[in-house]
Amino acid sequence: MATLVTIIVFILFLSAILTGGYNKELMDRFRSHWLWDWITTVDHKKIGIMYGIGGGFFFILGGIEALLIRTQLFYPNNDFIVGRAFNELLTMHGTTMIFFVAMPLLFALMNMIVPLQIGARDVAFPFLNAMGLWFFIAGGILMNLSWLFGNAPDAGWTNYVPIAANEYSAGTGIDYYVLGLQISGFGTLMSGINFLATIINMRTEGMSFLRMPLFTWTSFISSALILFGFPPLTAGLFLIMFERLFGANFFDVAAGGNPIIWEHLFWIFGHPEVYIVVLPAFGIMSEVISTFSKKRLFGYTSMVFATILIGFLGFMVWAHHMFTVGMGPVANSIFAIATMTIAVPTGIKVFNWLFTMWGGKIRFTTAMLYAVGFIPTFVMGGVTGVMLSTPPGDYQYHDSYFVVAHFHYVLIGGTVFGILAGFYYWWPKIFGYKLNEKLGKWNFWLFFIGFHLTFLIQHFIGLFGMPRRVFTYQPEDGLTLINQISTVGAYMMAVATILFVVNVIYSYRHRVPVGNDPWDGRTLEWSIPSPAPFYNFAQLPKVRALDAFWHEKMKGNKEMEPAEPLGPIHMPSNNHLPIVIVLGFFISGLGFVFRSNEVGALGLIFAFLMMFVRSFEKDHGYHVETDEVEKVEKGVKA
Amino acid sequence: MSTAELEQAKTSAKLPPHPERATMEGRNKILGLWLFIGAETVMFACFFGTYLALKGSNLDGPTTQELYQIPMVAISTLILLVSSLTSVLGVLGMHQNNYKKMMLWFGVTVLLGFSFLGLEIYEFVEYVHAGHTFAGSAFGSAFYTLLGTHGAHVLFGVLWISGLLVQVWRRGMSLDMAPKFFSASLYWHFIDVIWVFIFTVVYLMGKV
Amino acid sequence: MEQAKPQQESQATESDAKHLASFAVMIVLTAIAFAAVTMDIVPPAMVVPLIIGLAAIQVMMQFFTFMHLDFKKHRITVTFIFTGLLFGVICVVALKYLV
Repeated sequence: MATLVTIIVFILFLSAILTGGYNKELMDRFRSHWLWDWITTVDHKKIGIMYGIGGGFFFILGGIEALLIRTQLFYPNNDFIVGRAFNELLTMHGTTMIFFVAMPLLFALMNMIVPLQIGARDVAFPFLNAMGLWFFIAGGILMNLSWLFGNAPDAGWTNYVPIAANEYSAGTGIDYYVLGLQISGFGTLMSGINFLATIINMRTEGMSFLRMPLFTWTSFISSALILFGFPPLTAGLFLIMFERLFGANFFDVAAGGNPIIWEHLFWIFGHPEVYIVVLPAFGIMSEVISTFSKKRLFGYTSMVFATILIGFLGFMVWAHHMFTVGMGPVANSIFAIATMTIAVPTGIKVFNWLFTMWGGKIRFTTAMLYAVGFIPTFVMGGVTGVMLSTPPGDYQYHDSYFVVAHFHYVLIGGTVFGILAGFYYWWPKIFGYKLNEKLGKWNFWLFFIGFHLTFLIQHFIGLFGMPRRVFTYQPEDGLTLINQISTVGAYMMAVATILFVVNVIYSYRHRVPVGNDPWDGRTLEWSIPSPAPFYNFAQLPKVRALDAFWHEKMKGNKEMEPAEPLGPIHMPSNNHLPIVIVLGFFISGLGFVFRSNEVGALGLIFAFLMMFVRSFEKDHGYHVETDEVEKVEKGVKA
Repeated sequence: MSTAELEQAKTSAKLPPHPERATMEGRNKILGLWLFIGAETVMFACFFGTYLALKGSNLDGPTTQELYQIPMVAISTLILLVSSLTSVLGVLGMHQNNYKKMMLWFGVTVLLGFSFLGLEIYEFVEYVHAGHTFAGSAFGSAFYTLLGTHGAHVLFGVLWISGLLVQVWRRGMSLDMAPKFFSASLYWHFIDVIWVFIFTVVYLMGKV
Repeated sequence: MEQAKPQQESQATESDAKHLASFAVMIVLTAIAFAAVTMDIVPPAMVVPLIIGLAAIQVMMQFFTFMHLDFKKHRITVTFIFTGLLFGVICVVALKYLV
């Protein structure tokens, strides 16, 4: 009751201040501050940068968690971090890396680049775009608050019941996982819908589906996977939230429930999830490899077809994470065969990348190094995946370090290398200067060698019988040396990451402005200034072929032909409601984590009220007049 | 929106035949809502699957055959089905530039929506008295989660349409309001679609 | 964008009647489903497939008449909705039979 009163008074106080009741000059200073501009922006480029900063921050957190895990495993019977604390580390490492690092960093690149690649001025729903960003930040912060309040989630990133239910995990730990993921999941779903609508509706004239660059295609299919793959997670998280908080009985066998329901719901989400994080990386590889081989992508149509097939099949294979649950040989066989078939379109893509490079004029920039390093690494992860897809084999590999090695090979070899390649490739487009190539090469080699040192031998630890998610092993197990080598590799990866941060700072300090097209690129984003003006295109371009910009260059044109006359450009206005709405959900989440239904409900009511305020808003954006557009274009060319 | 479209919206002259599709924002909003429907289809499917898996676990409570009151369900179904019709009549009114017709039929939709919710709450109170509770058994949890989620969506829908009616009453019809009404009606039809599956899979199959 | 007025109005009245007719069919489908379960008119083994089939027909009518979905004009939307339905069916089947 007291909490309720306190919160109401606090809200009244805040509203009084924020509606300018007290000090108009102070409010004006706030409103013209650059920070307020960034907090209230709906510009896809700024939102992309914020996704990058957020993802980068959580990457440091997740990386530290990994280093602590590997440090504990350096000696047998080590007592550096044991028991519950170790379980919290491995849970948070996995959850953070997937939900608060991989996906946000990919969204960063998708946000910054996809509208430019299709010749659009922003995404379909700029307001929703900003909300999606803040939902991610809120979910990430909520989940990581658990470190401060002494009870982080500790049931693995897969959060199986019954261990994640109240009986075995009393207290707030798992509730942080449930509410944090639910909140950030809403944001992801919004972004998925946003990119789908943008790519379907807002392509510029002449850009048919089969003239879209591969990064846009893979972002499109990945967004479709988000659209259909996140709802099962939403459903499952609601079920486990109701069970933990409100006494429901979905998974409790004594009350007639069934814990396998959670596993199905989680993995029906979980398998598409890994394709969500890998497909955009595939797209980046296609762009980088064709640009730095100075050759068009080999087999464009089959690449598109393979991407669609991978996305579709990705929904049919989830139970290969559940072979040992006891569904029976018929079910196991069906899922095993479906899993193996995904290797086929993936293989098509690998061969097409190789054939793109064959006969090309190859430049080994850092981005290209990551792309070329990705190919053998991801293939190794893929073949261990086929090994895991055989149920009899999986009965041996399941829950061992063999699985850990497999998924790090595909996740780091695929997603992380893809993200790094993408950042090195598109950094000049986003910021107007390149990242330093020498530091980049050091970054790549240290990361690449460190990665293989860490994870190659983990295949063997697994085959020798070491289970995953254990905080120690015995001296007589014979695993000591291998674990130590693995830990050394992890520290190498940490040094490589520090080098990347050094590169970012160094390159900023010594920045040399680049023009529109520092890499001699093939796609539309390279036809506009670097960084892009806030309206992207002064005149939307006319596309005549695949690799639209390259096509124009080969015909002798320096620029794209415009599809419209120069005229006033309609842009969306900044808006403070996205972060306010998310604040409501964040407060609600905190309330439910601390088992205060009043605060939980109040937060939700506030959020929905703010949505209604949004519905009644009358601001339809503003117009950039022709003379201002000309001024910006001239200023950039100067 | 181009300058020309903005001008037209301001003067609120006769709107084009399909006003909701006349602007890029409108087309985006409609597509966005269809995509959202696709996502919600999968989410509700998960709740349906969970219900089907757990509906036999009634423990000491009543079974589906004993519990479900078909006459009440028939009335609820009729109410929602009629409300689906009235919402499409509202859209037709919008297409015919007959804004009184549009507001009337959407208003009726809201009233029917509230009646549905009232009836559903009454039904749940009856079931609780019969021993069928949320925390009492897996069957109860699955039942109330599925139906409750649907009910929450109905509530959001009536509040949304009410808000739109207030907006159009105060500001008049325009190229901005048209996609909002069209999307709201798509949403409303979707929750009727879910109800079709609910009365079939939950209630009718429960009586078999 | 503007169409000839008489054409527009006759098109409009046509749609009104079309939607009322759809509604009538949906009522009939619903009535048959309720009757099949509450009365002894259908062999017991056929009841469940029948009511599911009736539900599927009614849902298609909702999509393609009430919600103005057009198979030719809205191909992408139709693809997404049918994909969603397919994945939904897979989820339901998995949760019912593999648990």
